[in-house]
Amino acid sequence: MDVFGSFALVLAFVCAVYAFGGGIAAIFTRHPLLIKSTRQAGMATCGLIFVATFSLEYLFFSDNFSNAYVVAHSNRDLSTFYKIAALWSGQEGSLLFWSFLLAVYVLSVLVTYRNKNGELMPYVGVVMAGVQIFFLTLNNFVASPFKALASPGADGVMNYVARADGSGLNPLLQYPEMVIHPPNLYSGYTGFTIPFAFALGALLARYPGEKWIHLTRKWTMIAWMFQSMGILLGAHWAYAVLGWGGYWGWDPVENASFLPWLTGTAFLHSVMMQEKRGMMKVWNVWLVFSTFLLCILGTFLTRSGIVSSVHAFAQSSIGSWFVGFLLLIITVCFGAYLKNRDYLKSENQLDSIVSRESSFLFNNLILLVSCIAILSGTLFPVFSEWITGNRISVGAPFFNKVNIPIGLLLLFLTGVGPLLAWRKTSTESLKRNFGWPLGIGLVAGVIALVFGFREIYSWVCLILCVFVASTVGLEFYRGAKVIRARSGASFLASAVDLTLRNTRRYGGYIVHVGMVFVFIGLAGAAFNRDIQKDMQVGQTMQIGSYTLLLQGFDSKPEKNYTAQRMNVEVLRDKKPLMMLYPEKRHFSSNEQNGTMVAIYSTLKEDLYVVYAGDSPETNMPVLHAYLNPLVKWIWFGGAVVVFGTLVAMLPNRRAVLVLAGAPQPAAQPLAHGLTPSVTLREGHD
Amino acid sequence: MTKKARPVAAITMLVMFAVVPLLITPAGAQQLSDRAKQVGGKFMCMCNCNQVLTGCNHLECSTMSAMLKELNQSVSRGDSEDAITQMFVQEFGTKVYAEPPKSGFSLVAWVLPSVYLFVGTGLVVFVISRWRKRPAAFAAAAPGISAELLERSRAQASRETQD
Repeated sequence: MDVFGSFALVLAFVCAVYAFGGGIAAIFTRHPLLIKSTRQAGMATCGLIFVATFSLEYLFFSDNFSNAYVVAHSNRDLSTFYKIAALWSGQEGSLLFWSFLLAVYVLSVLVTYRNKNGELMPYVGVVMAGVQIFFLTLNNFVASPFKALASPGADGVMNYVARADGSGLNPLLQYPEMVIHPPNLYSGYTGFTIPFAFALGALLARYPGEKWIHLTRKWTMIAWMFQSMGILLGAHWAYAVLGWGGYWGWDPVENASFLPWLTGTAFLHSVMMQEKRGMMKVWNVWLVFSTFLLCILGTFLTRSGIVSSVHAFAQSSIGSWFVGFLLLIITVCFGAYLKNRDYLKSENQLDSIVSRESSFLFNNLILLVSCIAILSGTLFPVFSEWITGNRISVGAPFFNKVNIPIGLLLLFLTGVGPLLAWRKTSTESLKRNFGWPLGIGLVAGVIALVFGFREIYSWVCLILCVFVASTVGLEFYRGAKVIRARSGASFLASAVDLTLRNTRRYGGYIVHVGMVFVFIGLAGAAFNRDIQKDMQVGQTMQIGSYTLLLQGFDSKPEKNYTAQRMNVEVLRDKKPLMMLYPEKRHFSSNEQNGTMVAIYSTLKEDLYVVYAGDSPETNMPVLHAYLNPLVKWIWFGGAVVVFGTLVAMLPNRRAVLVLAGAPQPAAQPLAHGLTPSVTLREGHD
Repeated sequence: MTKKARPVAAITMLVMFAVVPLLITPAGAQQLSDRAKQVGGKFMCMCNCNQVLTGCNHLECSTMSAMLKELNQSVSRGDSEDAITQMFVQEFGTKVYAEPPKSGFSLVAWVLPSVYLFVGTGLVVFVISRWRKRPAAFAAAAPGISAELLERSRAQASRETQD
């Protein structure tokens, strides 16, 4: 099966090269057969990558320990669940998995637009094939997952060998979220290839700039949603597995995943400027280019070993390939831009500084400043070593100090932006829209002060959260009230109807509410407490209103590891509440240890208990307990963000009815004789 | 919003969000971290976990234990924060800082985010002022490409693409 998979990868590479070269020829010749054959070659590339990926999974499931990658990342006792995750647990497999997810996107695009956009698709196909060629080069010639184990025989000839068992999967990866976190994150990274391909393709095809935006909006949102989910699932994994009591440590791998999310978020906002006003075309093209470049840069940072990370499970000397690819992309993007930049001219003027347009500009500014600050902080240790000879670490305290004010500014704009009108906002409108939300936010701030809230950043964050939620609430209230007056339906039904009439606008608001929940959760971090104690059976530990009583220990043998568990009874106000079982796990296949945190989670706070090993001084087991307020709001907020994004991707109810029934009236020409740059089929706000 | 509905909306909002500070407010006396914990947050654990000393995630990390032991000894001796910093820097080098010191080359790391913000704000203000001065039918006057060509390209794009 490893030969089969390897052969499929070689064929995929050949097909991708044909799709790329034939695609370029098709652009120049416009020959229908050539266009069709390159599209089919693109599809074949994807199919062959699927075959290769399933072949590797088959090797894992069949415990084929003649394959070097399977030996390094699996063992017989590893559960089927984690044998799926073993695919992306190392360098070679994760690169193949990257190709696999990219192939899913590419095939979806090729199938979706097989009979559409005939002139643009060869350009898009060439860009997508170019990216696939890079990853297939790595899969075939640099980091093949299909290398067989071999050892030299007595005659000096290499013979294939098979091990009886494998080394097993890294214990840190043996957690349910590791089966869903990397696919989500990688789906985000690879998904940004599609808007990149359309943006570059449209620029090369000299399209003035609107169509690619419209064509790729949903693809961008899908990638953004996966990236968001991947980041949050990764944070939850770090929280539940690593056992240090936090969810975000500004680790280089975490930062690398956050950078394209920031530029992607900026793009999703600024794209509205282009759709609505025909502005920021150059900016949007470069935002998409930057997002894709940051995806590749992030992969380079975490795989090259240039920065160390607890999350990097796949480091090697592969970095130079990524540097080369990055330079190539930058060159192509600059070249295409310089050649065809005249087609990206803005068409409108700004009427007032107090307008939605300005708020989008500042929103983009803040997101970009945050992105560049995180990037420069991540790379600072490398630069400091180059320049001064001393490597200076940049850890979480630095990133927190820099990014908390930026985040609060962004939260403020999240509330302000939607309340400003396009073109110009009158003073009356400002008063009407901001009065109540601002008042409610300030009242919440006063209540917080009365109840002893003294952490300044958290206090400001709370006021802003209430402000933003109030603005969104008022928007829903006003819209639903109008529908309710007309239809007589209940308020909730009217709010749902309102959302379905303009899914993009109100889906976006739901995303904002989700972000408010995330910020509320983040604000709680200022009140984290922890206590660590060497414990004997029968001893207690107090944290907050909880009393932790160590009742004893037990051992829980599992198929792939043995767990030593602390049996901790949790009491609140002297009344038994529940049992928690923090674990220390020993994996015999690779002689590694791991932790499994026990968490009692409520909306108010998380009681987070870690069996932190045995004290070297006393030889007694150490219990480390944390009380982390509001953490659950982060995960809940993440779910709301995903829900809002899905809502924003739905077609508008009215648009569906129009498409199914009456013909649409012809668009009226604009005063200056140009047709509208975009037909606003959906609500744009 | 009608006058009748305003108080209802306001009270609803207040009830909803007044709960949040109540949730966060410490119920009892907060257990403040001791000085060692506070100072320990300013150094990285040197076991390559890339975490601050007090947040190392390695089970039974010997490096963290040794560093915390040194730290505790220094704190109990009453050493100043500067002295503790010097001790760790001599032992592990500048890699031990959890955040760059605000002196020498490291100052660059602290200054850069502000520079980005100021330069970015300047650019945004510049762009806004340019856009405000721009004539309405700017595309027609754009250099390098005529309005006809731009319109032809747009028509071509519309023809060649479907959503």
